[in-house]
Amino acid sequence: MPPTENRPRAKPHLPLFILPFCLAGCSGSQSALSPAGEEASSIYLLLIVTTCGAAVIWCLVTALLVYAGRSRRHVYSAGAGQKLILWGGAILPTSILCLLLGYALWLMPATRPWLTNNETSGFRIEATGEQYWWRFAYRDAENGISFDTANELRLPVGERIRFALRASDVIHSFWIPSLGGKMDMIPGRTNFFSLEATRPGIYRAPCAEFCGTSHALMAFTVVVMEKEPFREWMERQTNLLRPRETEGARLFARHGCAACHTIRGTQARGRIGPDLTDIGARQTIAAGTLANTAENIARFIRAPHAVKPGVKMPAFPMIPQAELTALAAYLKGLQ
Amino acid sequence: MRIGWKSIVAVVAGLPVAGFLVIQLGLIDVRASTGHWQVTDWFLHWVMRSSVTAAAGSTEAPPLDDPGLLPAAAAHFETGCAVCHGSPAAKRPPIGLAMLPPAPDLAHVVGSWSNEELFEIVKHGVRYSGMPAWPSQSRADEVWALVALLREMPSMNAAHYRNLAGAPPAGRGATIEARIAYCDSCHAADRQVGNSVVPILSGQSEAYLLASLQAYHDGDRPSGIMETAVSTVDDTDFSKLAAHYARQSAVPASVSATDPVVLRRGETLAVSGDPARKIPACAACHGTGRSNPLFPRLDGLSSRYLASQLRLFVSGERGGTSYHHIMAAAVQDLEEADIDALAAYYAHLPDRQ
Repeated sequence: MPPTENRPRAKPHLPLFILPFCLAGCSGSQSALSPAGEEASSIYLLLIVTTCGAAVIWCLVTALLVYAGRSRRHVYSAGAGQKLILWGGAILPTSILCLLLGYALWLMPATRPWLTNNETSGFRIEATGEQYWWRFAYRDAENGISFDTANELRLPVGERIRFALRASDVIHSFWIPSLGGKMDMIPGRTNFFSLEATRPGIYRAPCAEFCGTSHALMAFTVVVMEKEPFREWMERQTNLLRPRETEGARLFARHGCAACHTIRGTQARGRIGPDLTDIGARQTIAAGTLANTAENIARFIRAPHAVKPGVKMPAFPMIPQAELTALAAYLKGLQ
Repeated sequence: MRIGWKSIVAVVAGLPVAGFLVIQLGLIDVRASTGHWQVTDWFLHWVMRSSVTAAAGSTEAPPLDDPGLLPAAAAHFETGCAVCHGSPAAKRPPIGLAMLPPAPDLAHVVGSWSNEELFEIVKHGVRYSGMPAWPSQSRADEVWALVALLREMPSMNAAHYRNLAGAPPAGRGATIEARIAYCDSCHAADRQVGNSVVPILSGQSEAYLLASLQAYHDGDRPSGIMETAVSTVDDTDFSKLAAHYARQSAVPASVSATDPVVLRRGETLAVSGDPARKIPACAACHGTGRSNPLFPRLDGLSSRYLASQLRLFVSGERGGTSYHHIMAAAVQDLEEADIDALAAYYAHLPDRQ
């Protein structure tokens, strides 16, 4: 007889070891299972309700199956059998499915238009998907707020924010797993949408619709702030003044960067690429691709395609190393 | 007599051996001096005519009646073509006559070819003759300029040709004055005729001129005309030439009346770009006082030159300084009408200021 007891027995238990590690992925900055906003919470609740409901139904059906397999003493009459099938097999499941459908439809933004109203007045954020980055325009005509930023969204906690979603080239999809969404951004069309964050923090939002070579490298950061700091931040963005004639600003113009990028408060007013006004303060650079350090900024300027294939920005290998370092330091210093 | 299969096999097997021996022993005569048999000559010309006619079938000539096309073509003809073909100002040199076939006297033969066929011959050259291809295959605009010159050639007298071609190439070791005279043949403001294919260089930045000469020299900026012209210059003279033209004050090219609507379209694009179409403003790099000296000034250049360069950038065939790929990215979404509008705007800019 072969010595079976010496065989490794780890295999059947492997899933049990893996499970806790998998669960670790359910928290953090990019998880629909750890909601920090109204929309994400309601979707999370829907998930819990359907999962628990499905578990209860599965248990009931299994119990019935076991019961039907064992009991042979009692035989239903034809009428009683038909009634059981009618109630248990048609009416009950139809009612449950109708309830679930109603609940799920209720959660869809289009059935609650007062949450996503598309008025042009009042505060709203216009988000535009571009290959492969995000353009955010903060607009509030009444209060004189109008500035653009990119790849980092700042939101106040406890306030419903309206969004207008657009795309400039191909279809992208706007999804902040921890806060809510998702909704597609479609070229030639504006989709309206609203979000309310309930917990301050920093969240990550990936593009949720395949949009090209660097789709996986297209994400943005969401910083949910308390109301007062948020107001101060907006005020600062609206009335920004920067010293114009610094060495960094000179290099920025000299190498042609200003043709595509804006740094508010300076001569750089290009609108082709991302706004870089506060790039130094952002969590990441290159739309969620690299940690925000001066070295990474320099690396991206020198060879953007090496970091992000298919990116529109041309490479700048001809900038002398000293100037590149100074330029990266200047950008990192834009807080 | 019956030919058996064995004899057939012997002959078939022996032929390659015999052919090998004929070649290996040098029995085939390749001397140009002994000429072709008449039948070979007839056969080669038959093949050439048919081939050129077939290849030219898919080409369509642009308008070639602009006098602005001729000076640069004539100067290039003098540098690159006259050494074999002669010119209206010089009979065919002995070297051209000693070729096989002899380089033809063009004034006599161009009449038998259409513009498209001449384009085909000048662009691609002719195999098994001495006729080389155009040095840059991406510069159809230059080849058409040469075709325009060839069309004029039968009716051109020596004085007219000399006037078009300007000073001859200065060659190795020449004085800087002779070199400048050669460059001036095309680039001097007073040598510009009509809407020229050639840019006026005076007032351009020294860094840009030097980098461009170097790019032509290194093969980084395709041009059959300029690569050939630069090859006659000692590269130690590049910086002197760049400094010379940078020192001169800018002279704008002459412009013809243009529709104000076109000029406005050009102005809007040049000054503000079109963010919705991903077109940055030209003025962000070109023309601001503190911009990079490697970015050329555009005001006052001829609209034909500007448009041809923009088209080369759009098609990805324009090399240049170390920044040329930035320009290619900037213009990739330009439409034909944008190119014409921008070229007209910058050509007219000195008038408007």
